[in-house]
Amino acid sequence: MLTYFRSFFLAIASLLFITVASPALAAESGFADYKYVLQLSDMDPSKQELILNNAANLLAAYPPGQVEVEIVAYGPGLRLLFAENMHAQRIDSLSQSGVKFSACGNTLKAMSKMLGEEPKLSPVAKMTPAGIVRIGELVKQGYIYIKP
Amino acid sequence: MGDNTQFKRALISTACTLAFTAAGSAHAANWLMLQGTEDPASAARANVWGFIQGLYEKDYSDPNAGGGFVPPKLLGPDLDSQDGFNINRARIGVRGTGFPIDSKINYFALLEMGNNGITSSNGAFAKLTDASITLNHIPGARVRAGLFKTPGSEEALQAIHVSDYINFTEGANILLNERFPNKSYTPCPVASSITPVCNPASGNVGPYTEAQLQAGAKFNSQPGPVGAFRDVGVQVFDAFDVGNDWEVSYAAMIGNGNGIEFSNSDGEYDKYLYFSAEKGLDGGKGGRAHGLKFFGWGQWGTRLLDVTNDSVSNLKSYDRNRAGLGVKYLKKPFRVTAEYVKADGMIFEGPDKTNWYFTGPANGNGADAKAYSWYVEGGWYIPKTKWELDARFDTLTRNDGRNDQHRFDKWTLGVQYHFNPKTRVTFNYEIRDFECNSGAAVCNNVNANLRGVGNKAGVQLTAIF
Repeated sequence: MLTYFRSFFLAIASLLFITVASPALAAESGFADYKYVLQLSDMDPSKQELILNNAANLLAAYPPGQVEVEIVAYGPGLRLLFAENMHAQRIDSLSQSGVKFSACGNTLKAMSKMLGEEPKLSPVAKMTPAGIVRIGELVKQGYIYIKP
Repeated sequence: MGDNTQFKRALISTACTLAFTAAGSAHAANWLMLQGTEDPASAARANVWGFIQGLYEKDYSDPNAGGGFVPPKLLGPDLDSQDGFNINRARIGVRGTGFPIDSKINYFALLEMGNNGITSSNGAFAKLTDASITLNHIPGARVRAGLFKTPGSEEALQAIHVSDYINFTEGANILLNERFPNKSYTPCPVASSITPVCNPASGNVGPYTEAQLQAGAKFNSQPGPVGAFRDVGVQVFDAFDVGNDWEVSYAAMIGNGNGIEFSNSDGEYDKYLYFSAEKGLDGGKGGRAHGLKFFGWGQWGTRLLDVTNDSVSNLKSYDRNRAGLGVKYLKKPFRVTAEYVKADGMIFEGPDKTNWYFTGPANGNGADAKAYSWYVEGGWYIPKTKWELDARFDTLTRNDGRNDQHRFDKWTLGVQYHFNPKTRVTFNYEIRDFECNSGAAVCNNVNANLRGVGNKAGVQLTAIF
């Protein structure tokens, strides 16, 4: 009897754990069939438009919820996520459609030192300590790596 | 009382909105922003660009009864032939942010190496036409300093490599593209084998015959480059998104008033003001962005000229004021533009006696004359093709109200073929009707020459890189 109740209790606890933990796990690995990480580390301004086009095309290619896209910007590419960037409206729109934007903390620190002040970033940009490391983590989680 | 409070709140709210929504980037074909700023956080450190325009033109004018030609019958800038090939523009420039993570500073530089009024007078291989730095630190008040296009007429302000016509309107050419005469009095040139005898009373050098032109005679005696719609100075400007796709722009500039040369010997400064309101329409980009724009502008300055034919420099100050307004609509497949320009003082009369034409006596030459001009033009981008048809009518009345009042009417019919967005060929046929139309006796001799001004055809290839 005791064994039965212990097993029953463990089963209920496991069910509860999975239900509560799922959103947190989904935030990292998601249930999307396809996951892409796009790297932007170029100075070339044309790459900014290209990477946003890539993200939009990926969203359009799959049914809603079936694709996850994260753009990681570091080095000169971090300019894409400056608040005054000419693509700010489009970035905001893509973010609302589910595209994630990660900004490299190391680059931001270096740029702040060069400028004498910290550049203001887009409100949709999520800080990550090191952009290159973030890319590695996502690739390990099964993200397809794209560098336009 | 309640209505007043609400009205005041609305007014304050509007003012705050205008103050805090300064546009960060160009909206439709806003030449102030396109030429003076870079895309924020998205521009190159140094973007090399330029364009080449190669031209063939033929002037069908007839000589006068004595076999002589006057400047309107000859091809610029050299004014010594009626047909030929030319590289009328070859420009290379660089623009960008310099320090790309700082969007608040950008620069623009451009060099001209083609054969035109900018380069032909100084015999130099190249001439700097633009060199400016823009500081974008103050919201609503960007500061541009250096040598650049002055805020004014759309025809003058727009980038020349996107102009739909080979030649300027007569108004832009004569009233706005300033010629700078010798400050010191220039009497009649001394007669020679290639220069006809000059009449000191009228200053009329007389038309050159074909033989004289072929022997080296030239009408173009300009001592320096044309103004090229530019000045060296400081401009405050910006554009504001005021909602419903409307953008309002302004510019206020002060400059030397010496075109693309770098001196201000008279110690006075030219002032420029400009205002525009544009409704952005979907489509197009950069210089061919779609929109409906209304604009108005003014330019005020003075020039010094020696008015006595002796060795003493008797300088007199003359006003040089210009003002205009206009409208431009572009939404493919159609384009329509109309402008009106009013000019007071320093009206260009001719290229061969540079000071005399401004200060000569009798019928009153250009220094204190008045003029006005207007044009209407339209374009049809034939759908699903690379062809474009253009037509423009322009008219200039100079020396308004004087015995030697001139009226220059011109139709320009054009066809363009766009190989791609950066390369096109332009065919123009100009139908010209020039005359002295005051009815005074002085017009007889003038019209003996002007009535022979015929039509002109040209084909120009433009490649932008």
